Amino acid sequence: MKDFLQKVNSYIKEAFGASKYLFDGITVTFDHLRRRPVTVQYPYEKLIPSERYRGRIHYEFDKCIACEVCVRVCPINLPVVDWVMNKETKKKELRNYSIDFGACIFCGNCVEYCPTNCLSMTEEYELATFDRHNLNYDNVALGRLPTNVTSDPTVKSLKELTYLPKGVMDPHDIPSSEPRVGKLPEEVFDWMVSSNSKEEVSISNSNN
Amino acid sequence: MNSGLDLEYSFNETLKALGVSSEIAHIIWLPFPMLIVLVAAVVGVLVTVWLERKISAAAQQRIGPEYAGALGVLQPIADGLKLLVKEDVIPEKADSILFTAGPILVLIPVILSWLIVPFGQNLLISNVGIGIFLWIALSSIQPIGLLMSGYASNNKYSLLGGLRAAAQSISYEIPLALSVLAVVMMTNSLSTVDIVNQQNSAGILSWNIWRQPIGFIVFWICALAECERLPFDLPEAEEELVAGYQTEYAGMKFALFYLGSYINLILSALLVSVLYLGGWGFPIPVETISNILNIPANTSFIQVITATLGIVMTILKAYLLVFIAILLRWTTPRVRIDQLLDLGWKFLLPISLANLLLTAGLKLALPQFFGG
Repeated sequence: MKDFLQKVNSYIKEAFGASKYLFDGITVTFDHLRRRPVTVQYPYEKLIPSERYRGRIHYEFDKCIACEVCVRVCPINLPVVDWVMNKETKKKELRNYSIDFGACIFCGNCVEYCPTNCLSMTEEYELATFDRHNLNYDNVALGRLPTNVTSDPTVKSLKELTYLPKGVMDPHDIPSSEPRVGKLPEEVFDWMVSSNSKEEVSISNSNN
Repeated sequence: MNSGLDLEYSFNETLKALGVSSEIAHIIWLPFPMLIVLVAAVVGVLVTVWLERKISAAAQQRIGPEYAGALGVLQPIADGLKLLVKEDVIPEKADSILFTAGPILVLIPVILSWLIVPFGQNLLISNVGIGIFLWIALSSIQPIGLLMSGYASNNKYSLLGGLRAAAQSISYEIPLALSVLAVVMMTNSLSTVDIVNQQNSAGILSWNIWRQPIGFIVFWICALAECERLPFDLPEAEEELVAGYQTEYAGMKFALFYLGSYINLILSALLVSVLYLGGWGFPIPVETISNILNIPANTSFIQVITATLGIVMTILKAYLLVFIAILLRWTTPRVRIDQLLDLGWKFLLPISLANLLLTAGLKLALPQFFGG
């Protein structure tokens, strides 16, 4: 009898616990109703990509030495480096360079390993075309400067999360001149100098 | 409020003056309330679909429909039109008669149950003496339709989905009926109008929710399970069994399932408000207000205001419950089929039986509060 009553007791306690969890869940969902939507209304508002964003690859024809490191380092050996050996000057002559963005995975290996820094990644991501062959960029198309989101007057450009000022989570209403959270390198150095003793500063200076 | 405005009487008198006999006048009168309730149900579905999409979007911090009509109010109509013009596909080797009849059997009982939903003392299609029992009986036809749809799709996943949906529907009918039985025991009548009238003697203080809190929770959970709303939407969950028994349905037949799902939700919300939240009653009883203001309750003007107030209160209560159902959809995880059946048979059934016993005991002990 006592056993049965204990079972009933624990059963009722579990039921109350479950309903308490449910109620907590509903209050969370209800709380979300009063928050502003995080929607970025795409064609009228666009997010500004970050500095290290891996968008379309930019290529400088004049800096390339046709070493083909980018091809070897690419996971799918994508860049097509069209060079011939010039017998008079005993040098490689680069005729054409192309990357097919229909196949590129934008991993950035080629950019990282290029010895002459002729490859870099831009913030362009809107590469859609009507025909996939138009995605095969030759060296002229790769050399074009990227178009910036902020340069389009019909688009309201919004800052990403990491560029927002301290305590702000929503990019819609802040003015563009507000600085982002965190310190610039000069400010970090000033802070280091002011908070450390002179001895540690001279040690860190001698270690450089 | 037995005298005063009586639309049917005025209509009959007008027709009698034109020389029509009273039986024929009655028959001609009959379609009007049905048409009004049908239009109200369909408009209610459109509003509910819009509300569901907007509230779900707000709970997920996004915006929801905003381009189809101002604030997206025409979005449900756009959905309906799209489903209307889609091709009606019947799978090869599927039993086409059962395939077509399945959605019909799921939808018709739900619409038929709107017969007993009261919006006011005389504002319902028909004050059937066995009102609430009629609804329970009609909702038991739904599993047959689900089984037919699942079997006739010629798809093993649909078959499993249909079996699970039928199991869910059947196992939650019993606690539903038992909690309704507790309310009916207190009211001494199966008619929905009587249930509401018995609750409105002291305004908000005499609603059934205070006298039957356990019954309210049990009924609400069972109603959600019958409507296949999350957390009980295993039969139509996208990740489980593709879409369950609805997988092979396209176009208008799918529209019947979709419509049926939302009409069922509004019907359940209305019935919860009728059984537990006082139906068309204002928190302060209207008789008290009219006594304070010294206006007799039988003038036509007051009757119109009272009727409007009753309709508004019913709709408000029903939509509060719909709102809670939509919030619950995005709060709780989905229940697995064995957990679902456990909940129905091993948790809700004993609790609703205990509730019934408790209500019976309290009715004998305190007859003035628990319905002599």
